Formats: sequence, C-alpha cells, structure tokens
Amino acid sequence: MQPLKTTEPSPFLLNTEHLCLVAIETDDFHSNGLWAAGSPTAYRLTGSENLPVSNTVFIKAMSGGAAHQNPVWDSSRKVPAEHLDYGYIEKCKDVKYLEKILRVLRSGEEGVYSHLTEFCESHLEKLQPKSRALRKETSAATAASFSKDEWSQILQELQTWEEDTKRTDMLLKQDLFDDLVKSKMPPVRGSRCLVSPSQSLFPEARKNPSKRAVPRGYREWDKFDVEKECDNIDGDVLKKDPPAILDTQHPKLKQEADVSSLLSQRQKLLLANREKDKGNEAFRAKDFKEAVTYYSRSLSILPTVGAYNNRAQAEINLSRWHDAMRDCQQVLELDPDNKKALLRRATVHNHMGNVQLASEDLRGVLRQDPYNIAATQLLSKIEEKMSECQLEQEQRSKKIFIEEVEEENSCSMKELQTACPAQPSQPVGGEERFAAPAERRDMGNTQKKPHSRGDGGPHTESSNSHHHGHWKSKGNSPDKYKVPQESKEKVANGSDKRGSTASVPGDQNNSSKGTAGGGKFEESANLDAPCGALPPQLSRLKNEGNLLFKNGQFADALDKYSQAIQGYTDSGLDSPQDLCVLYSNRAACFLKDGNSQDCIQDCTRALELQPFSLKPLLRRAMAYESLEQYRKAYVDYKTVLQIDSSVQAAHDSVNRITRMLIEQDGPEWRQKLPEIPLVPLSAQQHRREEPPSAEVLQARVEKAAREAERRADVLFPALKQEGNDFVKKGQYRDAFGKYTECLKLKPEECSIYTNRALCLLKLERFGEAKQDCDAALRLEPANKKAFYRRALANKGLQDFLACSSDLQEVLQLDPSVQEAQKELEEVTVLLRQSLADGSKEHRRTVLIREVDGDEDTTAVQSNCTGAVSINQKPTSAYDFGQSLNAARCSGNTEACAELLASTSPEQLPRYLSTQLDGHTLSFIMQALDSHLLEKNPNLVYQHLHHLHTADRFTVVQLLQDMDTHHHMTQLFEHLSAVESAEFTKNDVQNLANKYI
Amino acid sequence: MTFPQVIAHIQKSLNYTVFDSKWIPCSAKFICLGNYPRGTGVIQIYELQHGEAQLIKEVEKPKPLKCGTFGATSLQQRHLATGDFDGNLNIWNLESPEVPVYTAKAHKEIVNSIDGVGGLGIGDGAPEIVTGSRDGTVKVWDPRQKDLPVANMEPVEGETKRDCWTVAFGHAFNDEDRCVCAGYDNGDIKLFDLRNMSLRWETNIKNGVCCVEFDRKDIDMNKLVATSLEGKFHVFDMRTQHPVKGFASVSEKAHKSTIWQVRHLPQNRDIFMTAGGAGNLHLWKYEYPAKRSKQDSDGMDVGVAGSVSLLQNATLSSQPISSLDWSPDKQGLCVCSGFDQSVRVLIVTKLNLV
Repeated sequence: MQPLKTTEPSPFLLNTEHLCLVAIETDDFHSNGLWAAGSPTAYRLTGSENLPVSNTVFIKAMSGGAAHQNPVWDSSRKVPAEHLDYGYIEKCKDVKYLEKILRVLRSGEEGVYSHLTEFCESHLEKLQPKSRALRKETSAATAASFSKDEWSQILQELQTWEEDTKRTDMLLKQDLFDDLVKSKMPPVRGSRCLVSPSQSLFPEARKNPSKRAVPRGYREWDKFDVEKECDNIDGDVLKKDPPAILDTQHPKLKQEADVSSLLSQRQKLLLANREKDKGNEAFRAKDFKEAVTYYSRSLSILPTVGAYNNRAQAEINLSRWHDAMRDCQQVLELDPDNKKALLRRATVHNHMGNVQLASEDLRGVLRQDPYNIAATQLLSKIEEKMSECQLEQEQRSKKIFIEEVEEENSCSMKELQTACPAQPSQPVGGEERFAAPAERRDMGNTQKKPHSRGDGGPHTESSNSHHHGHWKSKGNSPDKYKVPQESKEKVANGSDKRGSTASVPGDQNNSSKGTAGGGKFEESANLDAPCGALPPQLSRLKNEGNLLFKNGQFADALDKYSQAIQGYTDSGLDSPQDLCVLYSNRAACFLKDGNSQDCIQDCTRALELQPFSLKPLLRRAMAYESLEQYRKAYVDYKTVLQIDSSVQAAHDSVNRITRMLIEQDGPEWRQKLPEIPLVPLSAQQHRREEPPSAEVLQARVEKAAREAERRADVLFPALKQEGNDFVKKGQYRDAFGKYTECLKLKPEECSIYTNRALCLLKLERFGEAKQDCDAALRLEPANKKAFYRRALANKGLQDFLACSSDLQEVLQLDPSVQEAQKELEEVTVLLRQSLADGSKEHRRTVLIREVDGDEDTTAVQSNCTGAVSINQKPTSAYDFGQSLNAARCSGNTEACAELLASTSPEQLPRYLSTQLDGHTLSFIMQALDSHLLEKNPNLVYQHLHHLHTADRFTVVQLLQDMDTHHHMTQLFEHLSAVESAEFTKNDVQNLANKYI
Repeated sequence: MTFPQVIAHIQKSLNYTVFDSKWIPCSAKFICLGNYPRGTGVIQIYELQHGEAQLIKEVEKPKPLKCGTFGATSLQQRHLATGDFDGNLNIWNLESPEVPVYTAKAHKEIVNSIDGVGGLGIGDGAPEIVTGSRDGTVKVWDPRQKDLPVANMEPVEGETKRDCWTVAFGHAFNDEDRCVCAGYDNGDIKLFDLRNMSLRWETNIKNGVCCVEFDRKDIDMNKLVATSLEGKFHVFDMRTQHPVKGFASVSEKAHKSTIWQVRHLPQNRDIFMTAGGAGNLHLWKYEYPAKRSKQDSDGMDVGVAGSVSLLQNATLSSQPISSLDWSPDKQGLCVCSGFDQSVRVLIVTKLNLV
C-alpha cells in the first residue's frame, strides 16, 4: 500500500518531490566551511533560485556548437563525445570536469563502456581520492561479505550481548531506588522560586501566574529581562531568596558527579562508563581539560582502572605531571602490571627529569611486551638524553683526559642502562618513590618544579611540545621560572644573612604562594626591610623594585633598580655584593622586557663584581639564547651547571642548545665553543638541606638517602675529575686513591673500575687490576676497555691464554682496536714460546692449538674424532665458540649437550651471537633433542627461550635448510610431549612459532 | 577491510505505516510506533531472540502515533513518551500500556517531533520533554507538572506560523543549563536557551530542516547536525559562538534525496548516521580542525569548522527511511524503519576501530 495515504500525512512528504529537483540542479554547490549566516529574512524561496540555473542551461545549449574551437573546457559545458576517450581522460587534470565525464559515462547516455568508466574512476581517484563522484551506492552487507569466522563472531557477540542485557533488564526491574532518585531531582522549571518543590504548586501559581510558564513568542523571549522577572517574582514571594539561581555567570561543569550513594552498583558502573566515554570523546577532540573533568566525574561515581589511566594521559597532555603521576600510581595500585600506566608514568618521569625511573618503568613495559613500539621509542629517546647529559657533564673534563680515559663516556651511559635492570622495579617500591615528589611539592619553595618552568623563559617550547595554552593562563605569576632553590640563590648573591623574603632579589616567586592570584603579597609592609649594607633609602628602592617585579610591572621595577644603582654609585659605598644583586635584578627586568642586550650588560657587570654568581649567569645565558648567540649561552649554562648541577632549566637549555649547535656547526661544534671557565670548588654549591618533615618518618629516611645520593652526584664528578688529572700527570698512586673514593660513593660506576684498573696496571699491581676489570665486566659485560686491561693484567700475570682470549674478545667487540691487535700478536708469540718451553698448559689444550691457527682451526680437529677434549666450562664467548666448533666438527652432539648444560641459558645468545649459522643451529637442535631433553627438559626450554634472541637468529632462520627445519620440528614435538611445571604446552607452542 | 560494514541483520515487515522506532534502554527490546490503515495508532514491542525479532506486545491507540522518546524517564521505569497526530503528549508505562501515566493536549496539530532529557542518567537536571508541532510551537514539558508546559516557544501574534519539523535537547551538562534546538519547514534553525529563557541563536539553511541532533545532550554543547530536505546536512561547531557570525559549520551533500534522520553513535559522538529518502544510510565521521577557534580581525573568537568524511553507505530499500535509533547499550546495533512498512535491525561493524 502507499504509505503516504495516511489520514494525516507527515509534513515532510508534501514538499519532498518538489524540492528534490532543486537539489539536483544545485548539485555543484559546495559550501564547505560556509557560514550559515543570517536571519530568517535572508531566506530565499527555492523557486527564485531555479531561474538562473535554467538560464545557464539555455546558454549552454547555445554555445554548444562552438565547443570545438575552445581548447579549455568550461566545466559547466556539456561533455562532447570525443572526450569520452582513454587518451583525453588520462590527460585531463580538471577534477570537476572528470566528475562530469564520469557522470555521463555512468548514465549511459552515450553508450555503456564499462572499462572506460572504470578507467575514469581510477584516474579520478588518483587526482582526488575523496571526490564525491566516486561514492558508490552499496547495498547492506550480508553474511557473504564476511569470512566465516568474522560472521560467526559477529553473531556470537550479538548473542552474548542479548543474553547479558536480558539479565540486566531483569535486575533493573528489581531495583527500587526510583523514589529516592526522584526526591533529589531539581524542581520543575518555572517553579524555582517556591520555597520547596514538595509544596503544592497550585495555590502559589494562582497568586502569581507569571511564575508558571506562560506561553511566549520567541520575539518576546528576546526581550525577556531575566533579572526583572526574577525581581518581580522574588519581590512577591520571597525577598530573601538569593537571585543566584538565575545568575548570569556561566556555571561550570561540576567536577564531581552528583550521584546518590544509594544507586545500585550496576547503575553506577553504567553511569561511570558513560562519563568515561564522554571523557574519551573530549580527549579525541583535544579538549583535555574537559576530558579530565569527565574522567574525574566517572571516578567520583566508581573508580576504574581505565578512567584513572585515561585521566593520567589527559593530564600528561595538559602537562600536569604531579596529577598524572598520582593517577598512574592509583592504576598501579589496582593493577600492578598495567602497561599503559607504566608507560605513562615513564613519560611523566621523563618530563620531571627522573630519567632513571622513566627507563625503569619502560623496562617494566618491555618485559611484558617486548614489541611495544611506544616504549621502545621513548626508551631510546631517554637513553639519548641520558648520554647527552652525561656527555655534557664530562665535556669539560674531556679536554684534560688522557686518551684512554676519554673513551669511557660511552660506557658510563651504558652502565646506566645495565644498572637499571638490576633493580627490580616493584610497584610497591615505586610508590615510595612517588611519595616524595608529592610531598615535597607541598612543602613548597624548597623543591624545584621542572614543570613550572613558566612562561617567562624562552625554553618551554621544545621539551613540552604539547602544552596547550591552558596552563599558561594558569601560570599567573610572571616568573615561576626560577622557583628553584631560593635559599641557594641567596648564597649566590651573598645575601644569605637576610631573612625576609622581600630582600630576596626580585624574581623569586615563592612557589608556596605561587598559586595565589597575583601580587598581593605581604611584602608591601616590608618595604623598609634592610638590605645588606645598603642605606635605608636604597634598600627601600630595591624592595619596591622587587615588589613591582613580582607584580609584573617590569618597567617600573627597572626604574627603581636604576635609581638604586645610581644612588649606590653616588654614595660611594663599598659593597660589591649588593651592587651585584642590583645589577642582577635589573638584568631580570631587562630580560622580561625583551631587552637582551642591556640584560647581558648588567649580568656581565654583576659577574665582574661577583664572579660565578648563579643568577646573573643564568639570566645572561637566557639573554644570549634569545639573541641566538647559542655558543655563549651554552658556555653560560654550562658554568651554571658547574656551580649547581641541579638547575633543571639549565639542563634543559643545554640539551636544546646542543642540538641547535650540532645543527649549526656539525659534529665539530664543540671546537667552536669559547672556553668554559672552570668554577672553583668553593663556588660550587651543594644542594641545600631540605627541612625535615615532622610528619612521615619514612619520608625522612628516604630523603636522607636522596640527599646522600645527590651529594654523591655532586662530589663524584669532582673526584673523578681529580683522579683523571692525576692520571694525566702520571701520579697513578694518587689517582688510585681518588678513584677508590669515587667507588665508595658509587660502587656501580663501571668507568671508575676501568680507570682504577689502568692505575693499577701502571703500578704493576696486576692481580688487583684484574679484579677491577672483572668488576667492570660484571657491571657491563661488553666493555672492551675492561677486556683490554684485563688482557694486560693477565699478561702481567703471565697467563697468556686468558690474555689472548681477552684480546680476542676486544677484537670481536671492535676489530679496529690496533693496540689489541698488536698485543694479540705479541701474546701469541709468547704463548707459543711458553708451549715450546714445555711448560705444560694442559688445562685447555684444544684452545691453545686453536689460537695458533687463529681462524678456522677446527678443520684440524676433524680427523681426530672422538678423543677431543672440549672445554666444558666456557667463561667467554670465545671459549664457548671454540668448544662448540670443536664439538660440531667432530659431530659430537653429546659434547655439545654437555657444553649447553654447563652454559646458562641467558648467556647463550651472547655467546652465540656472531657465530650462529644454519649448521650450528641445526647442531644445537640435535644436541638438545638427543641428549639434553631427556635429562633436563626445563633447561632445553630455557635455552630455546633465549636462543631466538641471539643477534643473527632471524637471518639464520631465514636461510635455514630443510634439515634444520626438520630437527627443529622434531625437537618441539618432543618438547611439547614433556610435562613440566616450568612451562606449559602453550609456551612451547608460542616458542615453536618463533622458530618455525 | 577496516571500514565499518552495515549488515541488515533482521528485517520485519509490518502491516501498518511505521513512523518511529526506538530501543528500550538496557534491554534487547525496541518499540515501533505507527498508524494502522484504519486510522488508529499502534505501539509494538519487539525483542531480539536468537537472531529474530519477536513481537511481544502490541497495543492499539485511538490516534496515530508519530514519534516517541525514552529520554526523560529513569532506567527503572523506562516510560515511553509519544506524540500523536492529534497533538497529544502521552507517557506510557510499557508494562501496562493500556492507560497513559501522563497525558496532555500539547498542540493543536500533529506533534512532529519529540525529545527527552534528564532521564536514563543522561543529562543533569529535571526530566523534561520537548515537543514540536505543525502548529508552529515548541513546548517543553515536565512529567511532574500536569497540563501546562514549563516553557513554550511560539511565534508572536501576526507572524506566520512555520511548521516545526524537529526538536532536540542539548547542553544539559548541569542542573541549570539546557538548550532546545528546533528546525522548521522554511529552513530556520532556532536555538532556545532554557536557562535564560531566550533565543540564543538562529540561522537558515534554505531548505526545510528535517532533523536536528546534538552529538550529545549532556555535555557543554559541542556539535549540532541539521539535515535538510534537499539532501544536504550541516554540522555546526557549537563551542564557539561569534556574536555576528554565530557558529561555524560545514555542510555536506550526501543523499540525492531528503535526509530524514541523523543519529549520533552513543559510544562515539563524532560518528553519526544519516538516513535518506532513497532508502539509504550513510555513516559519517566528523574530524576536528587543528584549532577549533580563532580570533577574527576584531579580536572576537570565531569557531572553525572541521570536516566530515564518509565511512560507509548502504542502500536498504527504495522507500525513505524515516527513523533510526542506535542501541545505547550495544555499539553498532541499530534499528531503523521506513515507509516500505518494515523495520530493520542493523549491525554496524568495526565502529570501535574508526
């Protein structure tokens, strides 16, 4: 039947057909981004629009004949038949015209050419993939559009949902909280001014009819004066009723969702998820603030891991590091292995400057999911950063290093990496660590906040690329920038004797007050506070300047400081400290005003008066940076870091400038730097003491540990530096002493061990040197310097065999080390001699012979089958490789099995790495299968579990032959038949997938 | 194949003209509203059972029913509010649908459109229902207040009354704020602010406005989609209102015929489906611009419109599809009804991957 034949047809239907015509005519009208401007008067009748359109049609017909002469085709013209041609279409670049051609082709007016149509479509797609002409009508998908699995999955999902939702439906009906919810509802609109919504509406309403919604026209609504109406109503009923109900101020979205606690768990979950979804959507729209609000609402209804996690991410995007940290921690409390939370915490750590903790978290992620791309990327970035910091910290010392010592920059960075996995990152342990930052923040000004580096300095852009203006508006204080270390800066300016905050050079905005609106500080009462040796009128000027500075009136502050300086010179005082402070403060004003030149001048003056004072240096550095004199800025920042290595802003800037300079000057940028002045120890500052918190004992203990660590951080490079100096001067005994002290501070520092080993070698204490090398190698198994020095020590101890194996190791790590090459040759000769002497070195007969032949000596072995003695306790990759080769050449799978049994699975990939080839792999498989599997299936599994991580494994795997494949399949079959507590069939299956 | 696919899962032919279909929240049931050939109205309740839509209840009403909503009811009650051809607003308890729990003679003529807010945990504030009618008025009702609307938007005396085709709630993100958007047959779109009781914004999109919907009712208004008679739809970015230019918008020509309905996916506000007069459905995604607002020459904030991209389309029938409703509980599940006198349950796949 005809659906439109209802008694009252829908209003839409009447006009539809009529207007469809219009739609087709105006088809080419694209109005993307057009303002839907205007008022109803701007409305035109569709009929009048039709007229010009038909006019063009008429003109088109008229000019049709002249079409041939015109090479450029107006897209409004009719398409001539010649253009329906492969050649023409291919050359045509006019998307609109192509669309037109396609329309003609599809219509079949000129005949049906399916290939040409396809060709035209594909050509158009190349030019404009989003063209509307390419949209094809498709019918609904059916089971045939999906693979069998997909289809059954879709149906299965629906089925499960159906069952679940029916259960929920039933349960919902049993919930009986409705009345309670109702009682919390807001009153009926228009009845707001009543005392209580529970009171009867009607008597009041009759008295006061305007209160009830009186029908109004929209013109009337326009003129509706809310305040007046309210007053009318209020005046009648309740004078005291606050007009706040209809205030004009835009009310904010509530942070907490107002949910009755009586709501059932089910409903809560439902609501919480809905709020979370809203948060997600806001997040996708990049409205992170709103997202955080919605996540908070969701959490206030029902705390879930997902919402915490998402809020953390949103907070990260807003650069609210501490909040993000708290959320990550919440997640990890609920779910200690949550990858996302770990990853996000790592990001937060990274931004807060705790690279160590960040890399620890990332390792945690990678332990669960070794292929996590985000984690891998971030980790490598962090490592880069760490190495960069390291490089720069040692940059100064590099110049005076002797060559051997110099190389170790690279190892100290590696040491950090290797040290990390050594400390298991337990979530519980992590929490304790977090407690500290959060707490310290509360304590205010003693803790520097890397994230509040503020809007004044030029250095926020690069590191936090996703700042979104939000927090800028929040950072109301003009100069959060140098919140760090107030007390310390007092020292720097020699003004530590003065207690009042007002006397602190102007730009200190105590972070404890940092959140307070702007500038209503109590200091105004303190204007006359005495300042050092300044006469009262000058101190007053200075304090006024400070106050003005804090209030952001930099120009006025500048005046005051200038007056003070003038007054100072006039009075002929002799107090360089105070003058320095004045210059420094004026420099800050200049900096704020963007007058970098004058800022530099003032800073230089201040520094002449008081060399190595921190703030003028920092300001000058910033000024240089803003003038793009990066080299000078770099030098200043480095000097700042020498004075106090904890100035985060300086660290960041140094990193950034390094990048700039590398870009600018290439890899030799360091040579173009002016000299960085050495800061005398007396000027170097240790981190200030933190006031002990009376509350948490644990926190205090922790802080003490941190303190010690920090002190070590400062002391350590100095000691090392001195040690290196001594080495350079040839005073090895003194250097040894220094290095030993270093190790007391940081027993984990690999480079110190190698350096000390060098001293010991020079002192001919070979035994100790060897011990140090061993220690270094324990920390960093691939340290070639340690190998090399151990080789020397071994040589000194007359153990040529060990010496040569160490040298081989060095050469394996880096074939270009010529000293090692030379040394090896020498040792080989010595070794031969010692053999020839008949001094029996029975322990490793095979090895010795192999060293003789150097490379592929195993061929020698092949004829003496069976009776090969194989070193079953490999200590190095070299040993292992030799033994393995020996076993393989003799086809002795048993020996290989024994060898594998005595090798720890973790070491296997490293031992194998360079030697792995198809035959070796096949041989190992056989050995595992035939001998080891029966005795110790767990070990086999462990070996297999680690073997595939070997360097060349993937390559070998690609090139493996049938035989190897066969052996592998067999091995895994056997392995999966074994029952074990240590691994399941699934594990074996997963592993097998990696191999086969 | 990462694009969503539209599957016509269930198709059910009906013996009446169906005008509206809606999922009952938190259930596997949906309702159909319509008009028997003999001129009476009908409510049918269907339930999904093992891949079939089973009719579990049918009630005949004296007047044909045009539109319905669950928007203003609690999750326990799930009462259905309907508007009929006679201008009545009724609220039905679907457990016992014989007698309405609330009734009001809302309009003089047919109620074209209805929407609710404040229930189902969607949107803060009082539960309210808005109706738009051919008599040109838009009225807001509170089920707790009998007979009289709590707000009424009608043209002033003497002005021609335009046929109001569609109404929608939005901006209900706290107890006080709430907006009603109404679309008229002459292309007018009007946005009423219920908090200040004022007309906040109006525009004209030249062709009759068939459907308007906010992407979400319960947030600070974000986007508004308005579909029109000649097959075009407009997406307004409602975050930034310029005093003169109003809201920025992007328009897209999608169907060759009237776009009858637009519905945003409850699980993702940036995805929406339009239903066309030629029986086809188009699935769209809105992409935000890099910055949603900028400063114009006078230093005023103006919005910047994003773009829409077509994700999928599907032709289901030759007759218009007049109603469309996403399941609030199951992502991708959707019911639609058309003038070919059938109701369909659709599954849209892979919406979570878009």
